[in-house]
Amino acid sequence: MMATEIALPTDAACGQAAVASRDSAADMALVRACRGGDQAAFTKLVEIHEGLVFNLAVRLLGDGEEARDVSQEVFLQLHRSLPRFEGRSSLRTWIYRIVVNHCRNRQRWWRRRRRDKACALDDISRADEAQLAVRSAGSEDPFAQVARHEREERVRRALDRLSFDHRTILMLKEVEGLSCEEVGEALQLAVGTVKSRLSRAREALRVSLGPWPPEGGRP
Amino acid sequence: MTCHDVRRRLSPLMDADLALGEMRTVQEHLRECPSCAAELASLRASVEALRSLPRLKLKDSLAVEVRHRIEVESRGPGLALLFRPAWMARPLIFPSLVPAALVLVSILAAVAALDRDPTQVVEHAVAPPAYLAPSGTETNPLFPSEDVSSPQVLTRGDLDGVAWADLPEGSLFVETVVARDGTVSDVTLLQGDSVMARQIMASLRREQFEPGRRRGRPVAVSIYRLISHMEVRASATT
Repeated sequence: MMATEIALPTDAACGQAAVASRDSAADMALVRACRGGDQAAFTKLVEIHEGLVFNLAVRLLGDGEEARDVSQEVFLQLHRSLPRFEGRSSLRTWIYRIVVNHCRNRQRWWRRRRRDKACALDDISRADEAQLAVRSAGSEDPFAQVARHEREERVRRALDRLSFDHRTILMLKEVEGLSCEEVGEALQLAVGTVKSRLSRAREALRVSLGPWPPEGGRP
Repeated sequence: MTCHDVRRRLSPLMDADLALGEMRTVQEHLRECPSCAAELASLRASVEALRSLPRLKLKDSLAVEVRHRIEVESRGPGLALLFRPAWMARPLIFPSLVPAALVLVSILAAVAALDRDPTQVVEHAVAPPAYLAPSGTETNPLFPSEDVSSPQVLTRGDLDGVAWADLPEGSLFVETVVARDGTVSDVTLLQGDSVMARQIMASLRREQFEPGRRRGRPVAVSIYRLISHMEVRASATT
């Protein structure tokens, strides 16, 4: 029955909130150290967050080199504006906001030069993906590996066909696991706007993806 | 609640973001409507597919590059950058001056070519055709008019030395070109006996003139003369 599958807040979710709170406290400690001129603390901050920054950037821009470049810009911007960080939102949310703004600017820059088509998401080759993805595929059945690559390729293409705003909100909500309030803070939108945009983005993804799971495949 | 209403609530339903009563109504509809239930399943499957994408990670940490760039930014431009030569600050300025210099040279060359003294034209080794020579020169003389004064004879040719008695009677119509220095540059027989003309034209070439002038400047002028020779005999008286 469909109705029995409705997800309600669980103990696991509460546990995640506790972890997020602990991370936030650790981030604030690092931010304070950075403000005091501790370069090692900033290096630690980069090492902690570079994964989420790069993952979001590469999914929004679809190009590994561009995403790496943008990630550097994000941390430079973070370093410059740390003295202005007041801690009203979490550092993670603040970083997401910087990433999204940089990616949007970068995409506009490319569109002005008519190259937005050239850096579509599907330009990440399988070789890139294999190098970038964190996984141990050594023990995987080769057929299963090919099937998984094909499924991921379809999802990437479907994501690429969405607008930048829809891609962003889906990445923040579904992949990064932010709440609607946090997404609203990151994108500087009202919560109601986030919910309605999320609803449209999910529907757009469903249409873009087509029948899922693919015929004869596993999700 | 219609299918349309239910489908608008599928996304909030996935986030458990519906009021309790509303959620029950939607659940009841989903139990009875396979189409809406399939749409919810499809929506969930799409989101799950997105979540299943592998998390991408950098091969090398960004920390070193970021720290290096921060160091460069904090150092400022430095003395070497501030006191670099002008051509290093603007490396394209000299290449961009080349076409400008070419245009300038072309203009100066054109001006020099158009501003030459017309009198130098006649000094060319190969004289240009008369129709190309400037008017008022020996190859393209003017004619006496209101603007051009007629040359005045200073020294007549030695016509007295001509053996008139040996010449037949007749008339010569000749053109004489008086050059800008007053000499005769050319004498052309237009009509008349050539035997008679031979001696007379040699004499005419030795004439000296006050040259004709236009606006005070000497110019070559062409004049036409009719020279007649006839014997005059006294009438026979009885």
